Amino acid sequence: MNVIELNHVTKRFDQFVAVKDLSFEVRQGTIFGLLGPNGAGKTTSIRMIVNIFAPDEGDVLVMSKHVSPELQSRIGYLPEERGLYKKMKINDQLVFFANLKGVNSADAARRVDEWLSRLELSDWKHKKPGDLSKGMQQKVQFIASVIHEPDVMILDEPFSGLDPVSVSLLKNVILDLKQRGKTIIFSTHQMEQVEQMCDDICLINHGTQVLIGGLKEVKRRYGKNTVILDYEGPDSFLGEDLVKHHNRFPNYSEILLNDGADAQEVLKRALAAGARVNRFELVEPSLNEIFIESVTGKASSPNGGVRQ
Amino acid sequence: MRKVLIIIKREYLVRVRTRAFMIGTIISPVLMLALITLPIFFATRGGGDRRVTVLDQTGDPDMFAAIKRSLEARGEGDDELNRRDPGVGRTNYTLTQRVIASGEDLHAVELQYQQQAAQDPNLTYLVLRPGSAEPLEVEYFAKNTSDFSIGSLERAINDAVSTLRLKRAGLNTAQIAAYTKRIEMKRNKITSSGVEEGGRADFVVAFIMLFFIYMTVLIYGLAVMRGVIEEKQSRIVEVLVSSVRPTQMMLGKVIGIGMVALTQVGVWALSALLLTTFGVSVFASRGLTMPNLPISLLIYFVVYFVLGYFLFSTLYALVGSTVSSEEEAQQAQIPVTILLVVPMMIFNMIMANPTSNASIALSMIPFFAPTLMMMRIAVVNPPLWQILLSMLIMVASILGCVWVAARIYRVGILMYGKRPSIAELGRWLRYS
Repeated sequence: MNVIELNHVTKRFDQFVAVKDLSFEVRQGTIFGLLGPNGAGKTTSIRMIVNIFAPDEGDVLVMSKHVSPELQSRIGYLPEERGLYKKMKINDQLVFFANLKGVNSADAARRVDEWLSRLELSDWKHKKPGDLSKGMQQKVQFIASVIHEPDVMILDEPFSGLDPVSVSLLKNVILDLKQRGKTIIFSTHQMEQVEQMCDDICLINHGTQVLIGGLKEVKRRYGKNTVILDYEGPDSFLGEDLVKHHNRFPNYSEILLNDGADAQEVLKRALAAGARVNRFELVEPSLNEIFIESVTGKASSPNGGVRQ
Repeated sequence: MRKVLIIIKREYLVRVRTRAFMIGTIISPVLMLALITLPIFFATRGGGDRRVTVLDQTGDPDMFAAIKRSLEARGEGDDELNRRDPGVGRTNYTLTQRVIASGEDLHAVELQYQQQAAQDPNLTYLVLRPGSAEPLEVEYFAKNTSDFSIGSLERAINDAVSTLRLKRAGLNTAQIAAYTKRIEMKRNKITSSGVEEGGRADFVVAFIMLFFIYMTVLIYGLAVMRGVIEEKQSRIVEVLVSSVRPTQMMLGKVIGIGMVALTQVGVWALSALLLTTFGVSVFASRGLTMPNLPISLLIYFVVYFVLGYFLFSTLYALVGSTVSSEEEAQQAQIPVTILLVVPMMIFNMIMANPTSNASIALSMIPFFAPTLMMMRIAVVNPPLWQILLSMLIMVASILGCVWVAARIYRVGILMYGKRPSIAELGRWLRYS
């Protein structure tokens, strides 16, 4: 069952087309990665789903219904740009946000306690945001977006500014919510996180859809055209004819091959150039690589996956 | 509607619980009271001992004694009029006579006392002499001539002189007392609902009400603007808009802060009420009657305050939604504040001629009505149709402003960066 559906949605602001003919579906109980560079139209798309904007054309359906103020209470939204009231205690703010989503004060108070203890913030219940670190404030904002137990959650950069311990704590919470059948739209620029968490992805650029599908399927579409090579020595052996893109990391290189180029040729040339090869592996490209390629348009489509 | 209530509750509690609010609500009436009463207190107080040398050139042997007696009788006098003369009770006048003989040079003597008076403010002198037109001319010389009690001195002399003259005309003391009993004129104002007593304090009441509406609308209108900017700047709006319509946010804020204002005004009104009941004696003992506030005037005051607050606070909310910081707001709010300030600059004109066509027209303009119409009501009690018409115009303007402000607000709160131009604001109005 599709919890969220966008059908040929277009949104304009004056002359500027923020979203153009965008369609995608989010299946229930999955984590859906909504990706794209800054200014691609992600926030506008999300704002149409949470009923902040109405689309100029097309339909936005949540649980098979057009979005409405009533449906808003079943969606939890953690925006990328988010804040808290400076002069309100954490407890009061969370109860306020829960009330706005239709939770009565008694339930809200109980849930606030539960969530604060789960995210290790109980000691800060009666403090004001100014007393909390940025990371703690982030966690409070996360609680504000889930306090009403929504069926759909939209999390825009939920991990930004968090330390690794908090990231893993929050990740577990999100995966747990998924286990319980909640549907999550996840928007981030951290491709490793997308690879770890998402079932499906949709990449948009300039308001249009560039890439869509299951994460594994998308990667498979690109085929094993990437060589992971861990070596010591010069890299002059990599000729223009073979390599489309080359990422040098401190410990290894990620080499994206040209279409039809033979991976074995890379290995041969490396050995011929006198490099010591510690590791040679033929893999699917990383999502990061796919993202950059799709957005900058450097790569041609391997099999129709990339629309320009 | 439920969501609006939740927002109203938050806006209200968050502000009422602050120390600033409590201090402002309690301290300002006290300060206000001090501001009003202290000058009166000091002005009427006078005080001290004046040694008055009476340079008597009249040649009338009874004159000085009569004045002295009249002055001494004043302070503790038991007839009604005398008790109204509180000044003399505070300032103690001791008169000594210095007869100027017929051959003596008054100017030379005066010069001597003048020098003394210049040294010591408590040494003053009074000149009594036959005038060219009047049978008696009286002049008082002192370093300080603004003391309220001097009026009492003057009345004492007047009484003494007229009593003396009447006695010489053959009247006995009882007759004199009966014939010279002062008559007080009561002032009555003709209003649409009949005749009301009082009216002498109209100006004071009108000005206080004008000023109160102006101040509270300004303070709380700006509070609305700052509240909008705070939510926008801290990006709380981003979270809120997924739960509430922007129009609900705006209305909740405007109403919530409006109720804070009403709470504060209510506390002040209550203390004013306490002041008029318990404080009246203080004023009366100083010869001032407290303005008697008709209840209808208070009701109009509340109505115009609420209408004015709504009109301006929606405009301030609009301004707040179009800017990204308080610094930007400083400039952007000027046009709105000018609309509020204009009546303060022209109220003298209206006060001078409250029934002219220009005054009527100006008091109908929705942005001026809360102050100018309120003032006209306090001063002349304009026909009911004018009052109702101005209220109707205001309600219509408020609805219009809310509509415009809401449409701009919902776009503005999610826009950051450059301040929009008027043309851009016009386009925002048309967004779906």
